[in-house]
Amino acid sequence: MSGLLRSQYGTAVRFAVVDQIRNRMAMVLLIVFVPLWFLVIRAVTTHDMVSFHLRAAGRSISVDGAHLTVITAGLNALTLIVGFMFFAAARREIGFERRLVGAGYPRSVLLLAKFTTLVATAAVVSLYASLVMLFFWWRPVDFGAIYVSFLLASLIYGSFGLMLGVLVQDELEGFFVIIMTSLSDTFLQNPIGNPTANKLVVAFFPSFGSMQFGVDGAFTGSLPWAYTGVSIAWIACLTAATLVIFAWKTRSPGIKRLSQHVIPA
Amino acid sequence: MTVATPELPALDARNISHAYGRHQILNDISFEVAPGALVGITGENGTGKSTLLRVLSGQLRPRGGVVSYRGALGYCPQEPSLNSFLTVGQHIEFFRAAYKLESLDRATELVRELGFERYMDHSVASLSGGTRQKLNLTIALMHRPAVLLLDEPYQGFDWETYLRFWDLAIEVREAGAAVVVVSHLAFDHERFDTLYELKAGSLGVPSSAAAGVSA
Repeated sequence: MSGLLRSQYGTAVRFAVVDQIRNRMAMVLLIVFVPLWFLVIRAVTTHDMVSFHLRAAGRSISVDGAHLTVITAGLNALTLIVGFMFFAAARREIGFERRLVGAGYPRSVLLLAKFTTLVATAAVVSLYASLVMLFFWWRPVDFGAIYVSFLLASLIYGSFGLMLGVLVQDELEGFFVIIMTSLSDTFLQNPIGNPTANKLVVAFFPSFGSMQFGVDGAFTGSLPWAYTGVSIAWIACLTAATLVIFAWKTRSPGIKRLSQHVIPA
Repeated sequence: MTVATPELPALDARNISHAYGRHQILNDISFEVAPGALVGITGENGTGKSTLLRVLSGQLRPRGGVVSYRGALGYCPQEPSLNSFLTVGQHIEFFRAAYKLESLDRATELVRELGFERYMDHSVASLSGGTRQKLNLTIALMHRPAVLLLDEPYQGFDWETYLRFWDLAIEVREAGAAVVVVSHLAFDHERFDTLYELKAGSLGVPSSAAAGVSA
């Protein structure tokens, strides 16, 4: 990357971070909603044991239902919040970014800056949610597995939010799609809420890989890394789709620039 | 640095047509603007003035026609397209990176001339419509463009700022830029070298045949 591109990239990342931090609604949601959601979920679940076939472990396991639900609740809260944050930012900024691109900002640099901000945000937000989760389940076998699981799910839904933000016209459409996807995705994979959570179809859900990784690591201590590949494939597909839509939305058509010309001072 | 020769138009629009669905907005419009010319385009609301400017600036692909321009383009859209969470100073910094400018001297000068330097650290969300418009204009001008497209540039301005805007427009024109101003107000007509009226999708005959502009 040339010095100029590096400097443009640095500027874009800096302002994308400022934009996220100044989004007070998202900050309040994150700080208040995550613990509140864990609290509500724990209040309505019991410590009854639940047995189910865990694909990642290749066998049936029997676990504390309250602990299992804490993991799905965390995934649900994070996917909603990170999805909303990046959907709202992308949607809010598309006109501004079109103007930046028209003024000469390379599209690829703006997009790279967005994804850098997404990775940084997902890393911090997932750490916060994982730490808050410890108040509700003090000793998972592998805490790191829960963090990785939360991080991957946040990255998937952040990418999904970005893609929707540059794609949809109406705010309500985007919020509806994120809410419904996140709810169906996380709820239908929980064997307590859905006794048929074993069906093959759930393997195609966005958070499947991260759920399998988190649950296996948290309850058995084994780390099925192959399942992180499923999540990474989701992130790659959503990123590629965002790239194409963003390039389309910020294109500058029908213009011929004949020569460079600067008016002297 | 390459300087366009005065004979060549700075902006050349050829056979521009556009429609929204079946509603034809622009109908085979052709015109040129020479360096150092100030052109006005007026018309009633809904006649397609902003659509024409969006086509000229490359924000909208026309159904037909080609736009060519020589040199850097400055575009001040009717909807400012700013980021509510960033400050005035951060916008200027962001566009400095976009335009690849080494210095912010011109931007600082514009902020001072338009009289909004005290808002440098204010976020756009907290600014009045008029101050947002000043920032909009500064972004369009800060890289000394050769072609300047202004869509309703003085909306929200008080009288004093309105006069400062015209001083600025004249200064930019005298420096050799081709300036196109779109406005629904026709009372500025004496300020333009040429004034077009956009009617039924066509520009018609200009109200003054000033040098440097031909339809």
